[in-house]
Amino acid sequence: MKNKFQDNLFKLWVIISGLTILIVTIGIFSYLLYKGFKVISTEFIFSSPKGVPLGTEGGIFPAIVGSLLSGLLSGLLGGILGLCTAVYLVFYCENLTIKIYILQALQCLAGIPSVVIGLFGYSLLIVGFGINKSLLSASITLTIMIIPFISIRIKKALEETSKDQYICSLSLGISKSYTIVRLVIPNAFKYIMTSLGIGIAFSMGATAPVMFTGAVISSGIPSKLTDPFMSLPYHLYILVNEGLSVDMAYGTAFVLIVIVLLINLICHLVGNYEDM
Amino acid sequence: MREVVLKIEDLCVDYGKKSILKNINVTFEKNKITAIIGPSGCGKSTFLKSLNKTVEEYGGKISGSISLNNNSIMNMPLEKLRNSIGMVFQTPVVFPFSIYKNMTFAPIYYGEKNKEKLNSIVVENLKKACLYEEVKSDLNMQASKLSGGQQQRLVIARCLTVNPEIILLDEPCSALDIKNTSHIEKMLLELKNDYTIIIVTHNLAQAKRIADYVMYMEEGTMVEMGNPDEIFNNPVDSRTKEYILYMKN
Ligand SMILES: Nc1ncnc2c1ncn2[C@@H]1O[C@H](COP(=O)(O)OP(=O)(O)O)[C@@H](O)[C@H]1O
Ligand SMILES: [Mg+2]
Repeated sequence: MKNKFQDNLFKLWVIISGLTILIVTIGIFSYLLYKGFKVISTEFIFSSPKGVPLGTEGGIFPAIVGSLLSGLLSGLLGGILGLCTAVYLVFYCENLTIKIYILQALQCLAGIPSVVIGLFGYSLLIVGFGINKSLLSASITLTIMIIPFISIRIKKALEETSKDQYICSLSLGISKSYTIVRLVIPNAFKYIMTSLGIGIAFSMGATAPVMFTGAVISSGIPSKLTDPFMSLPYHLYILVNEGLSVDMAYGTAFVLIVIVLLINLICHLVGNYEDM
Repeated sequence: MREVVLKIEDLCVDYGKKSILKNINVTFEKNKITAIIGPSGCGKSTFLKSLNKTVEEYGGKISGSISLNNNSIMNMPLEKLRNSIGMVFQTPVVFPFSIYKNMTFAPIYYGEKNKEKLNSIVVENLKKACLYEEVKSDLNMQASKLSGGQQQRLVIARCLTVNPEIILLDEPCSALDIKNTSHIEKMLLELKNDYTIIIVTHNLAQAKRIADYVMYMEEGTMVEMGNPDEIFNNPVDSRTKEYILYMKN
């Protein structure tokens, strides 16, 4: 009798936890969408910030473009580096000690607060190498932040999907590198794309790493890598922090969320596109 | 005339500190089917995998000597070795491509670009593996959509695309029904005209049906080898006798 009661209590607790997560998520989303949607207009999306102080009127177009560019650039850099790291760990690293050190390093990197990564990027790239506060330096800093997430996910995907096929291909006398490029990577392509999507979304939402290294309060659309840029989360931060306009901030948040969701969706679709 | 293709002397395989195969000495004859039998865990798969050194990909260490047509394989380039000794695994591992692309994957790697040549490699080897008639209308279908028996034949056909001399098969029928099994047995009997076949099987009846020689293994050693009649009816070693009796019941 008592056991039965405990059983039910536990079940109730688990169900409540699950429901809470669901409700909180839906709540946040619908509130944001509701508050943000009111502000959305073609002007908001396609024009630059206007008004005095700047940002109280007009739109966020440069910030949209800036965030997209920095997100895609860091996704590209992080994707290449993360994929290579994962391939090395899974297929080339034969020394267990080295493997453990690399994995530990990735774990540590993942645990560094993003504001500290921003500080590091600032000291190294801006102060040290003398690069402008720019798209390039911000993207490199973001790349450092997302690498552990991308490489650990891809590593897992490579381990799960391909060992048998990998060995089967080697048993046909085919070289390791050809097998990895033509078989293993296409095979894990779906997971690689979703990892990349998560990485890009993560980098587009980050404020701290870009505010020291490239994001500015106001700029046009960057025309080269060494131009500074506007970023959605940083713009949002300024709007709220300076008390410029909470409505505009919700609009910005709305756009940011929609873009992040779209990027995840696109990566998912590309990953599922089978042309093999 | 007996012609030895593969000669194995003092073969040992270790996984780390664990010794799996111990001093195996055996020879395999050209254009014959040799069946390897023995209790599970005795090292049959490990033995097969050591013949084309795939065991090293799993972290195994090989010592002793293996020679193919009187050339030691120990220092032979892996590509050449694995072109000569093809391998088919227990569960069919098809690549996540179409049937056609599964078949051309290795030839393209080896530099074949001519479309007609590739087509003929595909058709010819699918025919050898008795699969062509079933799939000829739909070579662009995803290979993973084939049935288990078809996948196994596809994998065998794919292994033939590199023109091996020897084909190693690790319990190729263990997951197949009677019909698919007999299909594969028929195919192996035809293939032995052109290839030397070494097959691991847990099915003694199958060994009886197709093998020219049977090799019995136990605890990482080769206990004895002979023609099926000797091994099944008059084994020399008591361990073989016991195993066969046990398997009969
Ligand atoms: N990758 C591996 N690492 C360590 N031990 C292994 C590995 N693969 C197989 N073994 C061990 O080698 C022994 C023989 O295995 P196997 O050759 O697969 O036997 P069989 O095919 O005869 O059933 C088993 O004891 C197994 O646990
Ligand atoms: Mg086995």
